[in-house]
Amino acid sequence: MLEQMAVIRGQPTVNEPIDGQTIAACQQGDREALRLLFEAYRDRVYSIAVYAMGGDSSAAADVTQQVFVKLMTRIGQFRGSSEFTTWLHRLVVNCCLDERRKQRRFVPLAEFGLTKTSRRQISQATTYARRELAGQVQAAIADLKPKLRWPILLKYVEGLSYEEIAAVLGCSKGTVASRLNRGHKALAKRLGHLRGQFE
Amino acid sequence: MFSNHVSKQLSAYWNGELPSENTRRTAEHLIRCTRCRLAFEEIKLGAKLAQHLPLIAAPDSIWPKIETALLQQPDALPIDHPTRDARVGTPVGRASDRLPLARYLKPGLAFAAGLALLFLAGAFWLRLHRTEARPSWEVARLNGAPRINSNRIDDTGKLAVGQWLETDDTSRARIDIGKVGQVEVDPNTRVRLIATQPTEHRLELARGRMSARISAPPKLFFVNTPSAVAEDLGCAYTLEVDDAGNSLLRVTLGWVALQLKDRESLVPAGAACATRPGIGPGTPYFEDASELFRTALAKLDFEPNDTQWSKVPALDIVLHQARPRDTMTLWYLLSRVDQNDRGRVYARMVELVPPPDGVTRDGVLRLDQEMLKRWRDRIDSDSHSLPEVMRDFLGTIRSGIRRHLNQASGK
Repeated sequence: MLEQMAVIRGQPTVNEPIDGQTIAACQQGDREALRLLFEAYRDRVYSIAVYAMGGDSSAAADVTQQVFVKLMTRIGQFRGSSEFTTWLHRLVVNCCLDERRKQRRFVPLAEFGLTKTSRRQISQATTYARRELAGQVQAAIADLKPKLRWPILLKYVEGLSYEEIAAVLGCSKGTVASRLNRGHKALAKRLGHLRGQFE
Repeated sequence: MFSNHVSKQLSAYWNGELPSENTRRTAEHLIRCTRCRLAFEEIKLGAKLAQHLPLIAAPDSIWPKIETALLQQPDALPIDHPTRDARVGTPVGRASDRLPLARYLKPGLAFAAGLALLFLAGAFWLRLHRTEARPSWEVARLNGAPRINSNRIDDTGKLAVGQWLETDDTSRARIDIGKVGQVEVDPNTRVRLIATQPTEHRLELARGRMSARISAPPKLFFVNTPSAVAEDLGCAYTLEVDDAGNSLLRVTLGWVALQLKDRESLVPAGAACATRPGIGPGTPYFEDASELFRTALAKLDFEPNDTQWSKVPALDIVLHQARPRDTMTLWYLLSRVDQNDRGRVYARMVELVPPPDGVTRDGVLRLDQEMLKRWRDRIDSDSHSLPEVMRDFLGTIRSGIRRHLNQASGK
């Protein structure tokens, strides 16, 4: 499945500019507006889901679907007191956690780490130059404890600030800093042999 | 001095999330604390690895499933039905649902081919001119005809990430790195911009000579050479690379770190340091050291087995020629010579700049990091607190008194 879709792109820089009108239209049930939201966030939501689900692309597609269905059914509750992206990311984190809970119930062995198949599929779909590195980073991310993995994903896939990450995860900025510190160290320890590629 | 380590703040420092005062304090601490610098290298590596998480394109099949799921949701907000959109002519959903494509296929082919050609031409033009969209630095021509990616620049130009700036034997250029500082590129030089972002600005110097004057906090500006990486610690310096990849760093203000893998040399103002491919940075030395001292040091660093050079081993010459100021050089040799020679280096250092209380011979010979650090602090403070002539004068007096006392006590 991943061969249809896994395309390496540049890192995101800032959140897509979705204006208040689009959100208001979504709250009125406007499917065009939802489609706009979907197009603006689909890759980032899906990427987060792929990494959070340990590389399981079909689970990630399910999570992405759930996120946008929940977004449409719950957007009436969004009052604009927080950033829309914070609200959306919270939805993504919760959907991933729900899906993981379901998987734990039925397929406990699939919880951590990329499966051989998905690893192979991701590798096939990435560009050759970055394939090896990206694959190793993905596997290392999948092995991180969830509390270290989430700040890394929100920082480097979504490009959120510490304050935004703290709002999404419901913790303090200090906790985010501490977990990123530990996450960075864990990645460096696991992938220390790649140090030469960055010098 | 090292009681307030900054290891817990290093990710926030790297990500630019610390308040400016903390950023400054952290940067200053990193200059002097080896332990925190090593920790920072780990954090940087982890962060750079995480930056390689690619964005993965979501499959198109998700959207139809979302629409279906929404239609089946009893609690969903009222949502426009696809057929109603089609009836009123609102283009929603996939293109194939909206247009009877077959009807337009034949006349459309020629139009599509034309569009494709236009698109390709546009893409080619964008590829040639996309410099504007990429992060870039301003370049000013100082002399002659500097070139960016083989294109001659007028009075000014832009150097984007990935591009080369080259000067011939009559041209010079200046690169403005925003608030970070300036780099002057001398004739016959080839430099490339590798990265520019809030937490790191990096050039590659393939050959030639450049002078940098950096006013940003330390550890933001780096220059890769074929034999080491120069890391700015708040300074001004010149760096030159020859055709064989050997480089020479000369620091005029502040400090610069030269690194290759685990080998590092911190070079203070007034000092220089050579590097060699495959070996990395040599031992830093003050430029006013005697020529014999400098030549012997180069032999020691890069050709230790060249017995033809002199009948007197290079280390003997270095130790004999060393002035109090050169204790900085000897400090590096402690960990770079073998165990047998370390005692000799120690003895000469004690004559020139005695270690502070608590720093013992045994500790130094077993390379106790804390003791080495304390002695280095003493050496640095000695070499920065007095004018050079006075330092050498006092060092000579100190050595003389010690020699006199040793003789008097019969040692």
